[in-house]
Amino acid sequence: MVEGVQNLLVIDPDKCTGCRICEEACSFHHYGEFNPRRSYIQVLRNDFEGVFIPMTCQHCGKPLCVEACPTGALYQFGNAVFLDKSKCIECKQCLNACPFGGIQVDPVTFQVVKCDLCGGDPQCARRCPTGAIKWVRADQVGYQKKVDGAQRSARLISLIVPQG
Amino acid sequence: MRFPYKGYAGKILRVDLTSGKIREVNTPKEWARKYLGGDGMAARLLWEEVGPGVNPLGPDNKLIVATGPVTGTIWHTSGRVVAVSKSPLTGIWGEAHSGGHFGPEIKYAGYDMIVVEGASSKPVYLSIYDGKVEIRDASHLWGKDTYETTEMIREELGDPAVQVASIGQAGENLVKYAAIITNYHDAFGRTGMGAVMGSKRLKAIAVRGFGAVEVAHPDEFYEFALEGHRRVLESDQAMELRRFGTPMLVAVKQAIGELPTKNHWVGVFDRYHSIDAETLREKYWVATKSCFGCSTACKKKHLVRAGEFAGTFTGGPEYEAVFAFGSSAMCDNLPAILRLNLLCNKYGVDVISAGKTMSFVMELFEKGILTKDDTGGFELRWGDYHAMLEALDMIVFRKGFGDLMAEGVRAMAQRIGRGAEKYAMHVKGLEISGQDGRAHRSAGLTHAVSARGADHMRSLVTVDQLAYWDTARERFGEDKVEGVVNGYSEAYKGLAVKMHEDAYAVRDSLIVCWYTVGWPPIFWMDDFARLAYLVTGEEAFKDVREMWVIGERINNLKRAFNVRLGITRRDDTLPERFTKEPMPAGPAKGQVVNLDVMLDEYYTLRGWDLKTGLPTREKLVELGLEDVAAELERLGKLPRSERPPEGEGGVGEAG
Repeated sequence: MVEGVQNLLVIDPDKCTGCRICEEACSFHHYGEFNPRRSYIQVLRNDFEGVFIPMTCQHCGKPLCVEACPTGALYQFGNAVFLDKSKCIECKQCLNACPFGGIQVDPVTFQVVKCDLCGGDPQCARRCPTGAIKWVRADQVGYQKKVDGAQRSARLISLIVPQG
Repeated sequence: MRFPYKGYAGKILRVDLTSGKIREVNTPKEWARKYLGGDGMAARLLWEEVGPGVNPLGPDNKLIVATGPVTGTIWHTSGRVVAVSKSPLTGIWGEAHSGGHFGPEIKYAGYDMIVVEGASSKPVYLSIYDGKVEIRDASHLWGKDTYETTEMIREELGDPAVQVASIGQAGENLVKYAAIITNYHDAFGRTGMGAVMGSKRLKAIAVRGFGAVEVAHPDEFYEFALEGHRRVLESDQAMELRRFGTPMLVAVKQAIGELPTKNHWVGVFDRYHSIDAETLREKYWVATKSCFGCSTACKKKHLVRAGEFAGTFTGGPEYEAVFAFGSSAMCDNLPAILRLNLLCNKYGVDVISAGKTMSFVMELFEKGILTKDDTGGFELRWGDYHAMLEALDMIVFRKGFGDLMAEGVRAMAQRIGRGAEKYAMHVKGLEISGQDGRAHRSAGLTHAVSARGADHMRSLVTVDQLAYWDTARERFGEDKVEGVVNGYSEAYKGLAVKMHEDAYAVRDSLIVCWYTVGWPPIFWMDDFARLAYLVTGEEAFKDVREMWVIGERINNLKRAFNVRLGITRRDDTLPERFTKEPMPAGPAKGQVVNLDVMLDEYYTLRGWDLKTGLPTREKLVELGLEDVAAELERLGKLPRSERPPEGEGGVGEAG
């Protein structure tokens, strides 16, 4: 039974510094080794500009992967989408259906894998040193975003103030 | 056969550019046991394979890029990597460390080290991609800067996540202090590693790996790593570093009178606020970035939005660039410093050596030792940032007087003569970094004895400079703490530098970052012992005393490498400015460095010969370096009148 699925993973690229501790924590939690390529979360990095966007399964409310799955291996529970490996036939329809790359093929086993929220305590959020990834109750996300958005606007103001 | 220790990839990639031969060899288990990895293992390889006759820019020199057992794990700052070679700038031991994401990628690609030897007849780059290693043509990349090179290689290999370490035009033109740049803004900065690549016509090393790093005791290691991250996140100073980056040192150093100004003439800069971290943050900051696995996130990106240098967008500068192009050159124009920093990243130049070379030339003009007649009409005056930008261009492309400036201050002083040497701020040929022994005595000793020359990374003590009483008490004991913490006193500085040198050798071999070890003091040898054991599984590493032995062994081996090239106590020195010219102003006014008393204490504790500074047979044998002792003996480089190392007595009388 998965606890805490009334929560959402909230990702704020503005706070991400690209350290990839989330990738390491994810790979360690699921495979006991440090291999960012096996992580269910990947930080897309533009090292030149300093822009970093952690991407993982969005746990959609109307998940296309679940619709595409012919065997019911993918299913919704609370605010989350899970994969029951015992029912999966590795047809990879979900991979094609997902617009976010939330489903992936493991580079070692070549099987379909996806974020499982670490059984209700997502390690990426727990280990993120900058608060870029948070595990927040769904009904508080809007307020949290308001707070973050206000801070972002404040920063924008400093961007356009002419230099004295 | 699998490598007996976890943490390591177990393989070394060897590439001969002359023959085009590529091979994999096993990482020797004994090297892991005796030297840990990174800096230590590279020292062993360089000692064995690069003899005293090797020309640093010849095909026989080797470029070693080394990772450690911790690289690529979730340990805080596990993204570090080191490049080691015989330095073309100094002619002795050369090493430069980089952060970013390049190091872990080498581990994921399945290698502990990459060793490049020989020289290609045409420009090439090395591509390591998912188990496939190729030497690829780089004719189309030659002449490009590091940004263009990185982008073109990523496009060519069809993967934007490929990590690229490349040289710019400076490396191609064999500028003696050319750097290797990774990921646009991270650098293997010092001792001319970029020129070594250039001499081999190796434009870049591109790596993408798909493997894993395993550790011996996963759960305990994971818990320990998380505790480590917590300690960093709970440190106010580490979080201050996240906010401001290393330029926060500008104001700190100004306050203690150690901000090298006017070519290290004085330690205070009246216009320091124009170039400090507050100004940088307020006017130019746009983004914060971390290296792999790091909770600190001290790397900054800055943009100049208006004025002459509008549009300048650069990763960094770090403190060292701000001091070298700023206070040292009497330049208070921060946008110009950002511009110079950006160009150094693109051309692939060490900011410290470049800045110090410029301030050296400025002082020579001031003193009338150089005139426009000597430089083909070029003139460099204090704070003239337009001329500095021109100078950088001349250096990188070896135009006119730039051809000489590209050789570094030691060679310049020799060529110019007329007393120029007095103003050449270097030790063993390496330009002095942003510290001053007069305001920070241990830094003077650090500059004098470090293996790569005037170095601030291999033994810089901060518990004295910043008065960490508790940490100093823990490390040195109640009886010594007062002496240690006094930055204006020579007392116990030999002890402090020796201790930090050994600890930092372990740090540089694991490899973890200077920050959160050197400053703020968060991790130390007990942590390293536990870390090394949990990662590798070697029981002996549990014992912190073993860590101290490994650190000492690595430093003795590096010393032996230099001794084989003729280095003795005579070379462990400082420019007269630090030993004879009292600090003219600021909090450290009137101070000079009494180097000899610190050296005596240092050699005594090292168990080296006092008169010559040569390691003794006893010490080398005690550290399991019998073969090194034998080689030095064969070359007549062991002290003549061997006597047992002196006991503890007399140590600390140095004040």
